[in-house]
Amino acid sequence: MRLGMVIDLKRCIGCYGCQIACKAEHGTRPGTTYARVVKREWGVYPNVKKLSIPVLCMHCAEPPCVEVCPTGASQKRSEDGIVFVESDFCVGCRACVMSCPYGARYFQDEQRDYFDTGENEYEQALYAAHQAGVVEKCDFCRHRLEQGQEPACSANCMCKARIFGDLEDPNSEVSRLIREEGGFQLNPELGTDPSVYYLPPDR
Amino acid sequence: MGERIDWRTGETMAFPDRLDLQRQDLSQVYRPQREWIDGRGLLIVIAHFFSGIGAGAWLWSTLYDFPMGQALAIGCVIGLSGVAHMAFLGRWDRFWRMLRRPHQSWISRGIWSIGIFGLAAVASMLPAVRDSAAAPVVLGLSVLAATAILLYEGFVYAASRAIPFWRTRLLPVLYIAYGLRGGAALLLAVAAFGGSGFDVRAVEVIKLWVVVSTAVLILLYLVSSTRSGGAARESVAQLVAGRISPAFYGGTVLAGIVAPIALALSRDALGLPELVLLGAIGLASLVGDFYVKYCIVKAGVYVPLVAAEGVGSPG
Repeated sequence: MRLGMVIDLKRCIGCYGCQIACKAEHGTRPGTTYARVVKREWGVYPNVKKLSIPVLCMHCAEPPCVEVCPTGASQKRSEDGIVFVESDFCVGCRACVMSCPYGARYFQDEQRDYFDTGENEYEQALYAAHQAGVVEKCDFCRHRLEQGQEPACSANCMCKARIFGDLEDPNSEVSRLIREEGGFQLNPELGTDPSVYYLPPDR
Repeated sequence: MGERIDWRTGETMAFPDRLDLQRQDLSQVYRPQREWIDGRGLLIVIAHFFSGIGAGAWLWSTLYDFPMGQALAIGCVIGLSGVAHMAFLGRWDRFWRMLRRPHQSWISRGIWSIGIFGLAAVASMLPAVRDSAAAPVVLGLSVLAATAILLYEGFVYAASRAIPFWRTRLLPVLYIAYGLRGGAALLLAVAAFGGSGFDVRAVEVIKLWVVVSTAVLILLYLVSSTRSGGAARESVAQLVAGRISPAFYGGTVLAGIVAPIALALSRDALGLPELVLLGAIGLASLVGDFYVKYCIVKAGVYVPLVAAEGVGSPG
């Protein structure tokens, strides 16, 4: 099994719902957004285009972050291809941050709060799961998958722009969309073979 | 420094620097790397500078049998570089874990090299070992480890698939050349300012040759980078005409290349004592050696997620 995601750029309206759902699920500190939305505009008035591109860890089949990690903290699960960080092994050398072409990794340097009044109860409870001085990233919500749920970002997408499934199953929804709707990967020339595919906005 | 509104009081608050930069970076096509240069990230450049010149100094000192230079080399690699490496890590208390993957990671290979160098170099200087039959083996091991230190640094950067400016075979060659010239520069400076028992003239000729060849290498590196895609071209643009150009022209070109050559060529006109002149050449070179590493690391930008004119195009 190879878990992956298809993101339909025609459906995405750039509402940041995935970003907020991810932050709420993982309780990440300011500056850490495992799922983020990149916006690009190009062209000259009146021929202007705007695109919202949700970006997360691509859970590459050939993850460059795992390759450069000196401690083995960055790992890829053999059973489903999920790339994750074993925080207890991480030394915070940031080699993985340098090697990730998708900007999916965040070094937990300064322990900042959102508000000057310090942490509220919700933050206290969720921040406890995050170590200082290590690198963190999206893990396709492993804890939710174990409970039979899909990742928080796709569960919360109101436009159904994110579809989660098994890329190795030719009958899965993700495989069908990639096959029939022209799914493509970001930066395929780097040889990372991402497990996150995008469907073109103009189709 | 950016600003944001406190939703409870309505007051304008200063937005944190790092987060402000991060937000700014995410909106750019070419996102600069910051983790290995800004704030505590500068320590990795300092660590690589000291381990490079230390390893180079060890090789020259061993070649010319200069014990003071050897002691200094150990101080640079184990002392200064070691401390900078540890201070750079987010969790230095787990540093031993970096020994686990020499089969795959260049950082791991580097830590092994530094460790073996420390043990072998210190052992080779002990009288008990120096006078024993094991002396050539221990010294040979230290020379091999010093060579590995020179080798690994460039590969640490070249292993980053996301930063095209670093991903070239020329970078490790450049780091080796700069480590060797940095080591020679260190010995020149030491010999000039109080060192003894070392024939500086022997190194001076080699030093000048290395200065000229590193200048050629830098030029080759920049020219080849302009042919390695948009992100690498952006890095070169930032070096020669952008945000890093003051450090590049002042540190790398002026202090590191022009000053050593100019001082060497105008020695008769200046009329300075030879040792002072060589010391000045050494110090200028050391400044240049630091800045070349600083500039290369600072100029690293990521391959764009989305090209300026659409999605999924190679950068």
